[in-house]
Amino acid sequence: MSKLAYEKPVISKITAGVPNKFGLPVKQKIISEIDGIPVSELIKDYGSPVFVISEKTVRGTFAEARQAFETRYPKVQFAWSYKTNYLDAVCSIFHSEGSWAEVVSGFEFEKALLLGVNGSNIIFNGPEKSEEDLTLAINHDACIHIDHFDELYLLIETTRKLDKKARVAIRVNLDAGIYPIWDRFGFNYENGEAWNAINRIMLAENLDLIGLHTHIGTYIMASSAYAVAATKLSNLFMATYRKFDHWIKYIDLGGGFASKNTLKGAYMPGAETCPSFDEYAEAISNAIISSEIPHENLPVLFLETGRALIDDAGYLLTTVLANKRSNSGRRTMVIDAGVNLLFTSFWYNLGIYPAKEASDYSEETTIYGPLCMNIDVIREAINFPHVQTGDRLVIERVGAYNMTQWMQFITYRPNVVLIDSEGKTHVIRKKEDIETFKSFESNPKK
Amino acid sequence: MKITEEIKISDNGFVFNSKTGDSFNVNPFGLELLKYIAEDKDFDSIKDEILGKYDVDSLTLEKDFYEFCALLKHHQIVAQGDPMEFK
Ligand SMILES: Cc1ncc(COP(=O)(O)O)c(C=O)c1O
Repeated sequence: MSKLAYEKPVISKITAGVPNKFGLPVKQKIISEIDGIPVSELIKDYGSPVFVISEKTVRGTFAEARQAFETRYPKVQFAWSYKTNYLDAVCSIFHSEGSWAEVVSGFEFEKALLLGVNGSNIIFNGPEKSEEDLTLAINHDACIHIDHFDELYLLIETTRKLDKKARVAIRVNLDAGIYPIWDRFGFNYENGEAWNAINRIMLAENLDLIGLHTHIGTYIMASSAYAVAATKLSNLFMATYRKFDHWIKYIDLGGGFASKNTLKGAYMPGAETCPSFDEYAEAISNAIISSEIPHENLPVLFLETGRALIDDAGYLLTTVLANKRSNSGRRTMVIDAGVNLLFTSFWYNLGIYPAKEASDYSEETTIYGPLCMNIDVIREAINFPHVQTGDRLVIERVGAYNMTQWMQFITYRPNVVLIDSEGKTHVIRKKEDIETFKSFESNPKK
Repeated sequence: MKITEEIKISDNGFVFNSKTGDSFNVNPFGLELLKYIAEDKDFDSIKDEILGKYDVDSLTLEKDFYEFCALLKHHQIVAQGDPMEFK
């Protein structure tokens, strides 16, 4: 006689008619493969946890964004925001799609040069530029985006020492009708500081003002905020022409488009609420085209889109280490990937799914990472099916910021694997080991 | 381990505690375990029956059984003995 199928025993309290936040429970989604490669095989070959990046998704997302803008505006140039994900292989994919590099440190600048980016196609942002960094940027003819007056004067001094010209833009902060206003970077629009900076630059013989830049924030849910920002930069653009008879070459609206992740505290899933590339493109293009700028002098539109271009392409594959019950009877689970690898788990309710068909019974669960630290919580509360220790799970939309903001804490950082457009896998950053750390340290006590 | 007097268990997996007014859903296998527990059977005898009948290994069953018992205690479906009394 064949045996009956086993199902873990569960008992759950019935709570009076409070419906699930998103309506009735739906069939549990599973992610069993990435670009046709089974999750089990990826973990067998590269260990657990392991980050996996899909080149197909990177290129697909980029094509979508480019099409949204290029069908609405005549001159568009993307610049890949290095800090979002500066693994060489990832940057190279964006550069092969035609993206310039957007960097915010001497380190990122060097990385872009090493990847073969022409210095004049590097945008150098950020408040941290030493004289050495500025010298590097000037010598490579980069676009230096000035953040504050001290930097402006240091730059003037550096160009004099080198007896060279620098190509510059200013970063502008402005009220785009959203909260919070990012006013710690750049020169303020509303109080006239940005206009003052432009005047100062136009009088400096070694500075060539080629651009106007803003980055109004990140995960901006209102495309209308970009229309306000584009209008304000267009005003500065025309004022510069009127006073100095000088046409600025580009307007750079920075990054900030929302990815499809769901912010903590959001009522609806991000995939349903975040604006599409088309909506952002429509708002920005309309604002510039309907400004006073004559058609023949329209500036190139630069975009430094980060998270919205790479989040979807990144996955973290992980393994269930333990199922537990807390004192209050709550179901908890420990997995082998923690906040050391998932910086974005502090912002998002990341999507986590079993890699194979799991039990039909699900229960509200807290998912912990493996660190021996109270802060290591990946999901406070997620309705999750019963899974066994050793089962594989997939965390989706982790392509942005995790592989740069991760910490080496308690354990090693894992392999990062790229699945290329042909479906072949490559380790693009290898797992750390004890040798990695031995090479950094020296011990005078031994 | 004793199921408390106030607990009523229906055949379709509905459990009601008349003292607290709480009600619970239990899945079919959970219901089967509850019936064994009501008959005062201990884990070893329950285990033999289950292993003969279901496609499960004894370690998984043991883990799940004790987790289930912890939930029964938490929901006051079985009486909580003296927690400091180790057997
Ligand atoms: C200047 C600048 N540009 C672009 C970006 C990328 O932003 P996002 O990932 O929100 O698109 C950032 C991120 O903070 C930034 O500071």
